[in-house]
Amino acid sequence: MNAMLREKESVAAVPLAARGLTHCYEGSNVLRGVDLALEPGSVLGLIGRNGAGKSTLIRAMLGLLQPLSGSAFVFGEPALKLGDDAKARLAYVPQQPEALAWLTAQQMLDYVGRFYPRWDTEFARKTLERWKIQPNKLLAKLSPGERQRVDLIRALASQPELLVLDEPAAALDPVARRELLREVALRAGDSGTTVLFSTHIVSDLERVASEIAFLHEGHLLLRCGVDETKERYGRLWLPAAKSAAAPAQALSRRRHDDGSLSLVVERDAQGRWPEAAELPGARVDALGLEDLFVEIAE
Amino acid sequence: MDASLLTIQPNAPEPIYRQIVEQLRRLVAGGQLAAGELLPSVREVAGFHAINPMTVSRAYGLAEAEGLLERLRGKGMAVAATRRAGQTEHQRLALLEPQMVELARHARELELPAEPVLRRLTRLLGD
Repeated sequence: MNAMLREKESVAAVPLAARGLTHCYEGSNVLRGVDLALEPGSVLGLIGRNGAGKSTLIRAMLGLLQPLSGSAFVFGEPALKLGDDAKARLAYVPQQPEALAWLTAQQMLDYVGRFYPRWDTEFARKTLERWKIQPNKLLAKLSPGERQRVDLIRALASQPELLVLDEPAAALDPVARRELLREVALRAGDSGTTVLFSTHIVSDLERVASEIAFLHEGHLLLRCGVDETKERYGRLWLPAAKSAAAPAQALSRRRHDDGSLSLVVERDAQGRWPEAAELPGARVDALGLEDLFVEIAE
Repeated sequence: MDASLLTIQPNAPEPIYRQIVEQLRRLVAGGQLAAGELLPSVREVAGFHAINPMTVSRAYGLAEAEGLLERLRGKGMAVAATRRAGQTEHQRLALLEPQMVELARHARELELPAEPVLRRLTRLLGD
């Protein structure tokens, strides 16, 4: 009995978790068995090419679509049957918000604010002004970028414990984007807000994410701390004459026209590169995250 | 010290926490940061640069473990007082290690023997 209680508590402590999620659209697999869990207070950046299934994964994790198989949990509750309490602790901003289009920005914020116990009216007012949204314009008449900005304000003003943002950067200019990142970073630090956000702008992710997950062809290819990823992986270049000595284990392998070889390699537990890195003419270069993704996603 | 004194390049291959420690080492070694000088809080640095506060904590923790910074009760982090006596030559030399490794690599790629490189370097150092 006690063990069961503990089990239940530990599951409830995980803000967001998915097990073995699969999904397909019109016969093509978008998710092929994804396991993912977020620790409280972590900021997870989800990255992947267009069409990699990022939005599908997010929607399945939040119970907004029924996956083909697998399960998802929000604060330990099955995502497909979320209670009102869990919903009030969660804020999600889709890529293209469509809800409540017949209200003005101000009306929408006033209306939804009543459902959230910790609604920050002052934040909503100030941010509308700073992000240059006309409060009295109908949501339906706003541009898609403005719509997403209003929705970001809605999500942040509710002071959620779990914040899920799908490509939030697309709608924002660089100044507003930096402001959003600052909000995300400080809320994670101050209130322990757990954040999941998908993006294709890798430098945003490098600023605020504590971890990254790389979704590629329906699989999570990489799930690692941002710092660890940068320290652990590198690009090994071998001249043509030495390319036969290439290590068998590599995240990616690319043969160049002159016969030389580029590989994405990993340090071992002692922090050493594969032996081939010591060969004459061989070279290991540090990789930024963007280069790493380009290398392994090709 | 002001948080704006740090430069953060999120897309560099070097993790942000290392960038911060490296800059603190230089600022202290170069005397721009004096012993006892207070550092901006983790929150200030994180807010100014829009970076994860945990990254800043990690950098401060590492700098503290290195003896570069010390935690003052109720005031936050400050440049370690004992530091003023001067770092040993060995410690200061260690700060140059990354650049020297890089230089050695370029020299090898250019198939330059050590001798002319060292001769030129000696000239540059002004001895």
